[in-house]
Amino acid sequence: MDGYLVGVFSNIGIISFLAVSAYVLLLAGEVSFGQQAFFAIGAYAAGMGTAMMRWPLAPALLLGASAGALAAAALGRATLRLSGLHFAIATLAFAEMVRIVFELFTWQIDIGGTLVGPNGTNGFGDIRYLFENEITPAEYLCAIYLLLALVLAVLMVLDRSRFGRALRQAGVDPVLAELQGVPVVRMRLVAAAAAGALAGLGGGLYAHLLTYVEPRNFDVMLGVHSLAYGLIGGLGTAIGPVVGVLIDIGLLESSRLFVGYRMIVFGGLVALLLIVRPRGLLDERTVHWLTTRVRDLIDAAAARRRDHPLRRR
Amino acid sequence: MSNLTIDLVQNTIDGVMVGSSYALLALGFTLIFGTMRRLNLAYGPTIMAGAYLGAYAFLHLGIGAFPVAVLVLVGAALAGLYVERLCFRPFAQTAAMASMVSSFAVWMQIEEAASLALPRHLNVFPALVSGSLGLGPLFVRLDHVLMLVIAAAATLVVHWALYRTRFGLGVRTVIDHRRAAALVGVPVRRILLLAFVLASAVGGLAGFLIAASEAQITPMFGMWATTKGLIAMMLGGLGSVPGALVGGLTLGIIEAQAQWLLGPHLRDLVAWGVLFAVLALWPGGLMGAAAVDDATAVQRRV
Repeated sequence: MDGYLVGVFSNIGIISFLAVSAYVLLLAGEVSFGQQAFFAIGAYAAGMGTAMMRWPLAPALLLGASAGALAAAALGRATLRLSGLHFAIATLAFAEMVRIVFELFTWQIDIGGTLVGPNGTNGFGDIRYLFENEITPAEYLCAIYLLLALVLAVLMVLDRSRFGRALRQAGVDPVLAELQGVPVVRMRLVAAAAAGALAGLGGGLYAHLLTYVEPRNFDVMLGVHSLAYGLIGGLGTAIGPVVGVLIDIGLLESSRLFVGYRMIVFGGLVALLLIVRPRGLLDERTVHWLTTRVRDLIDAAAARRRDHPLRRR
Repeated sequence: MSNLTIDLVQNTIDGVMVGSSYALLALGFTLIFGTMRRLNLAYGPTIMAGAYLGAYAFLHLGIGAFPVAVLVLVGAALAGLYVERLCFRPFAQTAAMASMVSSFAVWMQIEEAASLALPRHLNVFPALVSGSLGLGPLFVRLDHVLMLVIAAAATLVVHWALYRTRFGLGVRTVIDHRRAAALVGVPVRRILLLAFVLASAVGGLAGFLIAASEAQITPMFGMWATTKGLIAMMLGGLGSVPGALVGGLTLGIIEAQAQWLLGPHLRDLVAWGVLFAVLALWPGGLMGAAAVDDATAVQRRV
């Protein structure tokens, strides 16, 4: 793969973390315009881990994810009473506050003769862990996708578990779920913290890929995009948001089709797609149909093998 | 009066003036939310479409401020029609997320179309009047006075349309209970469309006043208008007309004071912080209208 493709796919993988983060909250029935805040917190925390405290990458990423989870849990606590649009706007207000705080936040220390650390609106540069440790872009790409695959696998297993079903139930109808004994508030808090951790992890990966982040990267646009990815790709499975990212960044931004008119074409396509499929390409019904088909095929193959004349006893 | 008092009074006057345009923005926003029960993220970009149409005509045809105002209103109303048809009409009322994301997609469309029409970052916009009025140590900008007067008049017209006309009765019936309204013969779809277009035009008027007082327009205007309208609407209370006014004026005053005391960075931080605090403490907003919380949902069901 050439360098350009590696860059594009690394970007797709990293933004997927943010899209999956928004998707987890969507499952819980909450629309968040603020996941970019935890992405930013993760980016700064992980960047400070390697560049300032000279930690290895793994604990720094873990720090980013934990910081994201903690901040998300705190926000979740403060907004427990809110739902629907009120929750969405509260998360937006929080995210904008976080962005402005990062614009004011300066803490630089001397590392080998240069000042390293967040520097207000000028951003946070010299997050050079990958260069210093001679990790190639292709290796980093593999690391990103391994982590993403792990996250998706966990989410897909969880989706089929008791917890996952209760979460979807709380999302579809919180009152009914509560009446049936689902601890809706607690489920939402757990979902918010998990979503914060995912966004924080993605942010940490992002900071190390770019080596430089600035508060402007984490504006409302990023948050609303990540929310839209889930609805474009589909809410039926954790792969949905990743499909959404692939369509936007992979197909349109990178292919350089429709130069100058990309957003007009893409916006129109998304609006029309949503009319046909209001819960995205891979919505619950499609995913159910697909899994049943696959299971039928597997069953049929197993039956054929079992009934094969040579194997019959 | 001491210097501090003079400054505070001056800030409050400035805040009320600018806040009147925020209130008008929030009024259109809250009208759309009240009837649709869904968030129209493309509200600001709709206004920007009108403002860009006006700026385009001003640049290429050299028309005066008044015809530009008409064009801005018409442009915003047409863009509103487009948004309603594409993002709201096709969806069931329950598919709130699909409508919202769809309106976001249209936002992207409008922003790109606007920057294709006028590619420069700063575009001139006709100013209304210039000069200012002195009142002892205090002063007000004349165009701000005009802004306040026009915004107040527009609010009265909207109030009259909502409470004194057959159309307004229809709107209020639809807001109260959409199915019951349909059952008693209210033409729900037509009312929804008309209210949406009216609200977009109200936003367009606010957009014209703001752009004229700045004498310029940038591609950031769409996002700016959506955010300011959203903050003002949520501060006052979702879906409430008096709430929109209170929210808009409050936001204007808070911003003016914070700007003077703390500077532009912290001004935005304070505005978001106040919004967050109000939401966390009184989710219904300052005017206490609990439009869509779980409690009402439960009551409706029981």
